[in-house]
Amino acid sequence: MADPAVASGGSLNAGGRGSGGKAASSPAENYYLARRRTLQVVVSALLTECGFESAEKAAVETLTEMMQSYISEIGRCAKAYCEHTARSVPTLSDTVVTLIEMGFNTDTLPVYAKRSQRMVITAPPVTNAPVTPKALSAGQKRTHPAHIPSHFPEFPDPHTYIKTPTFREPVSDYQVVREKAASQRRDVERALTRFMAKTGETQSLFKDDITAFPLIAAQPSTIPYLSALLPSELELQTLEETDSSEQDDQTDSENAAGNIINDDPGADKENSMLPPSGGVPSTKATEDNVIDNPYLRPVKKPKVRRKK
Amino acid sequence: MNRKKDKGFESPKSVIGYVELTIFPTVVNLNRIKLNSKQCRIYRVRVNELEAPFIYNDPTLEVCHHESKQRNLNYFSSAYTAAVSAVDPDAGHGELVIKVPSELWKQGDDLKVLKVYIEFSLDQPKGGLHFVVPDMEGSMAERGAHVFSFGYQNSTRFWFPCVDSYSELCTWKLEFTVDASMVAVSCGDLVETIYTHDMRKKTFHYVLPIPTAAPNISLAVGPFEILVDPYMHEVTHFCLPQLLPLLKHSMSYLHEIFEFYEEILTCRYPYACFKTVFVDEAYVQVSTYASMSIFSTNLLHSAMIIDQTPLTRRCLAQALAQQFFGCFISRMSWADEWVLKGISGYIYGLYLKKTFGVNEYRHWIKEELDKIVEYELKMGGVLLHPTFSGGKEKDNPTPHLHFSIKHPHTLSWEYYKMFQCKAHLVMRLIENRISMEFMLQVFNKLLSLASTASSQKYQSQMWSQMLLSTHAFLKSISNVSGKDIGPLIKQWVDQSSVVKFFGSFAFNRKRNVLELEIRQDYTSSGTQKYVGPIKVTVQELDGSFNHTLQIEENSLKHDIPCHSKSRRNKKKKIPLMNGEEVDMDLSAMDADSPLLWIRIDPDMSILRKVEFEQADFMWQYQLRYERDVVAQEEAISALEKFPTPASRLALTDILEQEQCFYKVRMQACFCLAKIANSMVSTWQGPPAMKSLFTRMFCCKSCPNIVKTNNFINFQSYFLQKTMPVAMALLRDVQNLCPKDVLNFILDLIKYNDNRKNKFSDNYYRADLIKALTNSLTPAISINNEVRTVDNLNADVRLILEEITRFLNMEKLLPSFRNTITVSCLRAIRQLQKNGHIPSDASLFKSYAEYGHFVDVRIAAVEALVDYTRVERSSAELQWLLTMVHNDPVHYVRHEILSMLCKNPPFTKTTTDSALCNEALVDQLWKLMNSGTSHDWRLRCDAVNLYYTLFGLTRPSCLPLPELGLVLNLKEKKAVLNPTIKPELGVGTVMDTPAMTFIRSFLLKTLIVMNPDPISLGVCGVGQPPQGLKRKAETPLGSPPEPGQILQQQDDDGRGGRYKIREEDIDMETVHDSQAFIHHHLNLLERPSTPGKEPPSVEQSMLSMPATPVPSFSKETPSLSSKHSSEHGHHHHHHHHEHKKKKKKHKHKHKHKHKHESKDKEKDRERDNSHAYSNSPASGRSLRSPSLSD
Repeated sequence: MADPAVASGGSLNAGGRGSGGKAASSPAENYYLARRRTLQVVVSALLTECGFESAEKAAVETLTEMMQSYISEIGRCAKAYCEHTARSVPTLSDTVVTLIEMGFNTDTLPVYAKRSQRMVITAPPVTNAPVTPKALSAGQKRTHPAHIPSHFPEFPDPHTYIKTPTFREPVSDYQVVREKAASQRRDVERALTRFMAKTGETQSLFKDDITAFPLIAAQPSTIPYLSALLPSELELQTLEETDSSEQDDQTDSENAAGNIINDDPGADKENSMLPPSGGVPSTKATEDNVIDNPYLRPVKKPKVRRKK
Repeated sequence: MNRKKDKGFESPKSVIGYVELTIFPTVVNLNRIKLNSKQCRIYRVRVNELEAPFIYNDPTLEVCHHESKQRNLNYFSSAYTAAVSAVDPDAGHGELVIKVPSELWKQGDDLKVLKVYIEFSLDQPKGGLHFVVPDMEGSMAERGAHVFSFGYQNSTRFWFPCVDSYSELCTWKLEFTVDASMVAVSCGDLVETIYTHDMRKKTFHYVLPIPTAAPNISLAVGPFEILVDPYMHEVTHFCLPQLLPLLKHSMSYLHEIFEFYEEILTCRYPYACFKTVFVDEAYVQVSTYASMSIFSTNLLHSAMIIDQTPLTRRCLAQALAQQFFGCFISRMSWADEWVLKGISGYIYGLYLKKTFGVNEYRHWIKEELDKIVEYELKMGGVLLHPTFSGGKEKDNPTPHLHFSIKHPHTLSWEYYKMFQCKAHLVMRLIENRISMEFMLQVFNKLLSLASTASSQKYQSQMWSQMLLSTHAFLKSISNVSGKDIGPLIKQWVDQSSVVKFFGSFAFNRKRNVLELEIRQDYTSSGTQKYVGPIKVTVQELDGSFNHTLQIEENSLKHDIPCHSKSRRNKKKKIPLMNGEEVDMDLSAMDADSPLLWIRIDPDMSILRKVEFEQADFMWQYQLRYERDVVAQEEAISALEKFPTPASRLALTDILEQEQCFYKVRMQACFCLAKIANSMVSTWQGPPAMKSLFTRMFCCKSCPNIVKTNNFINFQSYFLQKTMPVAMALLRDVQNLCPKDVLNFILDLIKYNDNRKNKFSDNYYRADLIKALTNSLTPAISINNEVRTVDNLNADVRLILEEITRFLNMEKLLPSFRNTITVSCLRAIRQLQKNGHIPSDASLFKSYAEYGHFVDVRIAAVEALVDYTRVERSSAELQWLLTMVHNDPVHYVRHEILSMLCKNPPFTKTTTDSALCNEALVDQLWKLMNSGTSHDWRLRCDAVNLYYTLFGLTRPSCLPLPELGLVLNLKEKKAVLNPTIKPELGVGTVMDTPAMTFIRSFLLKTLIVMNPDPISLGVCGVGQPPQGLKRKAETPLGSPPEPGQILQQQDDDGRGGRYKIREEDIDMETVHDSQAFIHHHLNLLERPSTPGKEPPSVEQSMLSMPATPVPSFSKETPSLSSKHSSEHGHHHHHHHHEHKKKKKKHKHKHKHKHKHESKDKEKDRERDNSHAYSNSPASGRSLRSPSLSD
């Protein structure tokens, strides 16, 4: 509430210098300007009352600002009190309570009001209170259905609650979809490989233009069989998606197997990347003790030193 | 065996070991013990706690000597054979000769147990054991470092001293001390695992109570992940870290194979446990040893992989079949190898039949038959059971070969593969003759005899049952079946070569008789004459009829009466061989003849090639209606010659027929492509197979888009893979691949979508790239302009785009076994070769380097080999040969050489190649002479390459030796360079008598090893009576080298119970022992480095009094020459003599003989000594490395 006043107060100075026509561009602004001007007059009157003969513009302005803040605060507070008691219009008692709350002695008010040297100032010019612009109403507002009493608020504008589906019919033509998927994948792959080729070492098939068909340089790896044999993450993912429907016979046999793993710490880690078909059956623990395989037996501690 | 991998970086690939043999002499005068050992450094040998002097002499290290300028292969082959013979354990020879200390002679004479202890080490072995140590950070276990034993045939001598023969059985106790993070897998039962005192290492104790030959012993050590087979807890699988999920999947079928074999053989698996180990950089895909098999890790696969699955299962089945025949039952001698390979191959075939079906089995048999026929017709015969009677070189049973088949180690790898192939085919022929039931009974009998024998404590007679000879096998067959298969054996086993038939026929309408003419070609190389029955099947309108004809000397024509009159208009179903009755459209056939088709030898019961002539419609009927896949495949290949619309229709129908065997349909694709190309001007409709593919695999609504992949039906998967590859072979009138075919394939690639598939599509995509490759045709080139991006053909640009993208994507998302990279590399080479892109080897070189997946490397090497040939590039050839020298992977080395043989840069007939120069000759000569001594297979590959490039004679690019000029011109053969002829002559002279001597000698020197009562309660060990064995096996002669012959006078110790204990010896100990040996040798008046002063070395051996040979007098004629060779080193004599005195009382008659022969020697000596110095194997010991070097 105070903000527009302050803002307009800022513009008041400028406006006072003679660009009023420009300042009075909107009715709401005019309204606030007029109030502010009145307030300035009031401040000036009070200063005169106190015996000042002249005041700097800035001082007056500051006092005006303070005054405005004070009054605004009283208004805000009074409104809060009134709303607190479920009313919409503040009463005198709201104001009084506010003033007391703000540390103002209300008893001094009648005396002050009736002081002798009180200057009477002219009423501010009547300006039209700003009209809140009417919200754009879209569509027909819905009337209350029978079970809702009429005193309840009206329905808001329909656009605020009605879903209007706006998507286009998706392309369901199989050919186009496949076409799109294919070219999308190809573009992604090409972009990716080009990027890799640009950022790393490359080999070329042509001597004259080494950028023509860039090949990512072959890098020997220390354990080449791992990448060549293990399924890639992507493939594993694909498998997981597809096999829920089709993996049946294999899991059966695996489960029956009671596949046992030793205490190898790596084993569990491995299982996580395992395609479900090769999965370790859950019966692991129960059969573990049944198997007697020499490789699973614990390593013995050395005996007493043997003869050498 | 303590591997020192854990011991630090200075020597990460070494082994320190200790061998203990228990020898039970069976003859008196055992004073020499000969063992096999290669590349081991031997520190110390003790016999019964006494230090024993020894000589370590390996003539195969360098076959011919430096000074020799000989460069012809004949010379090399005979020298190499001689060298191998000289250390052949089957003949009682060995590289390591141990002198039994004289203190023990008495004991030996009493036939008491001798124990031989050998301490040895191996440092960075080049053969026998392969260390894989990835070059990266981390502990050995984290790096997945491992080691395993390997070798071609009997190669155990590479990693510990032993009697490296398949026929020397003994029981074993094995101990391996390894880093605590490692697992040592070896033969037999793991008894216990014990930490060493510092708790940093573990010792694995194995006991193998079943008598086993040394070549069947193996070892694998690594940080293996362990999987106990869920179905059979005594079976354990091992794989390298991170591969456990693959191992689980791949091994989930092993139990079925076990069950199958045990059921058909009605015999339990002979060993108490079985282990499979999967290792990287394997020498061969499958190698089996007693109770364990070592496989290539690349056989492992996940559930998503289709193509690898049957291959892996086949490998498992093969390995397991060899466990029964090959490991448990071992061969008596090299000549009996075919029986074991044959039986294991045969039961493996039965497994294939059961698992993959009869169609697959028959297809496989046909494939194998075609292979062996093709090989024999090209290279000459493959002889299964060679006999070397008389030992004369002239009796060489396989004169057409450039290598000797006397030893497995001189055999070309290709030949050996064909040998195995023929062996199992012959077993099948025997089955045809005596029925499968009898066949299995024979196997069962052999196995039960062997297993009874194996459970016995040492009894020499009993254990021989575990060795199988040709004779015993045939006897068993005749006992069980009561049938005489003599002729069959004579034809296919004792004789090499295959039969080549030409057939044609005419129908005599009047007599209603089919006049069949069957001719033979038995004059060209690799063929033999067949006499005997042959089955002919004639499909007539009335049904199918079998006729058995007799092929005789002079009868070519056979009249076969027909059953049906030609009455083709009656609508009646036609009965087929299998009882099925079908409707046929008979309009195509000859109105006068009731014959639909004729098949010669439909059951493949002869090893033959048949070229049969019948009309195109008959082939078409055969393709459509004959139910046998072999007949269908024959019909398809025959139809290639009949490019008519009718053939097209028949092939298309087969392609579409889903009941038809998928491999037949795949073959039909390629035939259809060929026919379409022949018919290009009259071809109607869309390109062949396109509409078919569209119908089968493309979307109904949009026929240009392939369905998303679903490979659940394997038959259609294989067809889907094959059709584009075949289609790409189509050519239009301009001999280019039709535009719409290319676009079609590009669309397949573009729309390929595997997201909904539960199987990987890597093989499919690889085949699509192959299709692109097939579509390439030579570029039109003007003036050999340089190929640039700008003048790239538009279609090729598209292809190149795809290949580039695929190859790059593979770097980010590698496919299984990098199949796509492999295809891309081939495609790039093809682009280069056709002149679309500049020919350049650097890309392939980078992919060929160590550190890429082996398939990729092989593909790159293949491209390089091709590049070398096309561009005649000596730089690339050098690069390849350097790799043969240096590459860490044995398989790659082998492949390089065999690919160079298949696709040689030049051949013996091309004379103008710039590559063919003296330097290359020297280089290759060096390679086979000394560069490949650690790997028999590689050496034979090098020999093959040398043969391919230069032939048998002295390479033409070498300057002719002065004296040789005349003779070379005169004799068209020019096989022998005149300068070496005298030497060879001498070699032959030496050869024969020496051999006779050895043979007779061996008969007398029977040595049996006995259990050692003290040592750790290991049960007895023995050997078959060697006399028996040696009798059966015929001479193993070849010019033995003088040094070797000297040693042969003495007894050889054979076999024994081994106790290999790998002990931790730190360097101080090693030095100590060396110092000890040094000292000891000095005491014996031997130089510390015997190699440099050969006379002294010889002396120490010569000083041994020769063993008296009871039957000596009979053999005297042969002795002279033997001794003549001995006295090539006449300067030893004085040593000889003064030692002799000491032992006089013991060996009187021997001395007598010595003196007797000496006179002759001296005479000969004068004549021959100069020759010996040049003889292939002479003077080996002069240069041989010795223990204290």
